[in-house]
Amino acid sequence: MDSHLKKLENDSIYIFRQAYRSINNMAMLWSLGKDSNVMVWLAFKAFFGKIPFPLVHVDTKKKFKEMYEFRDRYEKEWNLNLIKGDCPPVNEIDPSLPPAARSAARKTEGLKKILKKYNFKGVVAGIRRDEQGTRAKERVFSPRDDTGKWDIKNQPPEFWDQSNFNYPEEVHIRIHPLLGWTEIDIWKYIKSQKIPIVDLYFSKKGKRYRSLGDKDITFPVKSKAKNIDQIIEELKTTKVSERSGRAMDHEQEDIFEKLRSTGYM
Amino acid sequence: MEQTKHLQDTPKIVIVGHVDHGKSSLIGRLMYELDQVPEGKFEELKKVSEKRGMEFEFAFLLDALQVERDQGITVDTTQIFFRTKKRNYVFIDAPGHKEFIKNMITGAASADIAILIIDVDEGIKAQTKKHAYILKLLGIKRVITLFNKMDKVNYEENRYLFVKKKLYDYLLKIDVEGLYDIPISAKIGDNIVKKSKKTQWYDGKPLTDVLDNYNYSQNENKNYLRFPVQDIYKLSDKRIIVGRVESGKINIDDELLVLPSNERVKIKSFEEWPKSKKEYHTGECLGLTFSEQIFVDKGNMISHLKNPPKLMNTLEANLFWLSDKKMNLNKKYTLKVNTGEYSINIRKVNKIIDTENLESSNKKIPNKNDVCEVVIHSSQLIPIDDFNVSTKTARFCLLDENEIVSGGIASLKNYPDQKELTNNPNITPVNFNVSEVDRASRFNHRSGVIWMTGLSGAGKSTIAKEVEKKLFFKGFNVFILDGDNLRMGINKGLSFSPEDRTENIRRTAEVAKLFSDAGFIVIVSLISPYRSERKKARDIRPEYFREIYIKASLEECVKRDVKGLYAKAIKSEIKDFTGISSPYEAPTNPDLIIDTENENIEKSVLKLESYISSEFSIKNC
Repeated sequence: MDSHLKKLENDSIYIFRQAYRSINNMAMLWSLGKDSNVMVWLAFKAFFGKIPFPLVHVDTKKKFKEMYEFRDRYEKEWNLNLIKGDCPPVNEIDPSLPPAARSAARKTEGLKKILKKYNFKGVVAGIRRDEQGTRAKERVFSPRDDTGKWDIKNQPPEFWDQSNFNYPEEVHIRIHPLLGWTEIDIWKYIKSQKIPIVDLYFSKKGKRYRSLGDKDITFPVKSKAKNIDQIIEELKTTKVSERSGRAMDHEQEDIFEKLRSTGYM
Repeated sequence: MEQTKHLQDTPKIVIVGHVDHGKSSLIGRLMYELDQVPEGKFEELKKVSEKRGMEFEFAFLLDALQVERDQGITVDTTQIFFRTKKRNYVFIDAPGHKEFIKNMITGAASADIAILIIDVDEGIKAQTKKHAYILKLLGIKRVITLFNKMDKVNYEENRYLFVKKKLYDYLLKIDVEGLYDIPISAKIGDNIVKKSKKTQWYDGKPLTDVLDNYNYSQNENKNYLRFPVQDIYKLSDKRIIVGRVESGKINIDDELLVLPSNERVKIKSFEEWPKSKKEYHTGECLGLTFSEQIFVDKGNMISHLKNPPKLMNTLEANLFWLSDKKMNLNKKYTLKVNTGEYSINIRKVNKIIDTENLESSNKKIPNKNDVCEVVIHSSQLIPIDDFNVSTKTARFCLLDENEIVSGGIASLKNYPDQKELTNNPNITPVNFNVSEVDRASRFNHRSGVIWMTGLSGAGKSTIAKEVEKKLFFKGFNVFILDGDNLRMGINKGLSFSPEDRTENIRRTAEVAKLFSDAGFIVIVSLISPYRSERKKARDIRPEYFREIYIKASLEECVKRDVKGLYAKAIKSEIKDFTGISSPYEAPTNPDLIIDTENENIEKSVLKLESYISSEFSIKNC
């Protein structure tokens, strides 16, 4: 493993331990994607092979078949304490949102339901700064109020690995251990640690998924990369953005911010 | 796995400077020139600019928030990844507006080097200076200076030299070294990636060449071992101490010193999943177990026997103040340094520095965004370093309840190291066969004194009883010391006069201490009306003491009057009754407030129970 990956790994382990020490009742989102699996792996490292808090899969029931198979297999193999949560139907979601975003927002509501039910005060999410402009503005420990609202105009200071954990009872904290990783870092790490992933990421018939979401609003991109090495090579030169296949990102200029400021990951 | 001495080959570069001097634009331009703007992004940003009736703006690549695009300023810091032919970089964009200094610091604090950008047309402005000064406090003592908007001054060398002289005069005074200075135009692209033909008089390199050739691994620190204890995990029969090597290296054969307890210990094993190594270096996380049981807790500092950190209770510091609330010298703040937390107060403000002219300001108390020099005092001993010895273990933040109000760096030269003072050869501590750590490991929690203060009828006893029951059935060793009950025994015969109340509190605090020595969590339910007496109780064992304010207004307590005492007191049938004929001094800074007037009993109980559980449990994992 190169020293840059080693540093990222250590930074993330530190964040996990800081979260576990400082937050009373926490959980980790497991979306079954590549970043999520790296996160599970890092949690194993942070807690010596057994993750001491539950994982949460917010199930839209619209994931790819391969993803469900992957979930059921690794839930057992990794001996995970997994909570499966459901999402409300789309007609219960804010109708002013454009269609793909409205569909994606089901996940926000599903997540809020679980947070409330289990009274989680912290939830680990695998977002990265290089994915999207508003994610690039995130803190490692990012507070959300009881409605899930992200106060982007007034984020707390965070420096020298010091963050605030004293918030009012109704606040929960989003924990972002992968914020400093890039897409190519994720793949290099998957390679070095031999972390299992869903094979939808590999090219079939000239296309592959760069990012996985609901099957009706996620599309594959053109690619010849059939294995991890080829993916890493592809990412060194590509100018196609990682989330180009996620329909929800492209409906309006401010749509991602809108989703995130009301509680989306 | 290879041995890594410097876990960093992607430099982090922060760009600072006055608002609108071109920080975000520079990064946008760089991305564009290096051909790293994602497909379709350029067109998208064009639309975004047109929609707002603006010229095309590179800054929109980073200013992703609607509020930033609408107002044309950067509100929050962002990080962007890019690569040159030589290496990868992380660029940190920091807002220049004075309202967002806290965001600027959030961004700049993690940088290896800084670029200070200045609009040659406008010249040096307030935030140019303030940012430069803050960089120094953040430990970034070298900067690359960029003189932007050369196109606006017709690429005139004289204008460039004029502004440069002024800036370098300032940098010299604050002891920040300007490494390179480059005339650029972020808008046009002069001297960013390629040398510009319009600045023939400039004989240096363009920015990317300067960045590619810079040696980022410079480190002026001494590299003494510093391993702050982040947490303790119980894993089957092992007690694993986890943390990160902040400086130096740790080898399996090393003998270690634990502070503040000042105990020496040998390493039994290193722990890492799936496999551990024999030696760990700066930046690496690890777990370790000791060959003998000694008391180690979260926030302790581990070093070698030689060159340990100092143990301070009074220290000087340079601070930047971030909060809208003014600094308050009568207030208790929490100082967080590495993994440790200490209750402190700011004893004195030595001076407030006006970053504009570097003179002492005549203000007495710092306001938002001020930088100042202060004296800090703590009742606990803080293992800490001088900023010039070990940067990472000398910097801290201050918390006021739920807000980070300040950050700062420690200077230890003018106050004594308590480690040397406390090594008194004439005092031999009694060694007990059963130590504190044995008790804590068996009970799975630390000892604690939960001191509940509040008016009669506020709900202290009710909450205490419920919390005791809940914790007991969760396996805690917990016991209540109740004011009324104690008055039938150890405190029998004491009246309610101020002197006797003081004695009542003193005895109760000593009994609580004995229970905590025995490994218990003691819940003390006592009106304890005087601040000074509660402080004395805290001072017996500050690390275990938590003051819980059971809050209810006098009106509410009179209304409740469960024991019918208020009615009697009002009719003067009882003398010296707290709230009626005797004062109650509410805590100014309790560790926890439970507002029984506005929350129901279940919620109050749950709040205290989870507080105790999170403060004192030793977690299993």
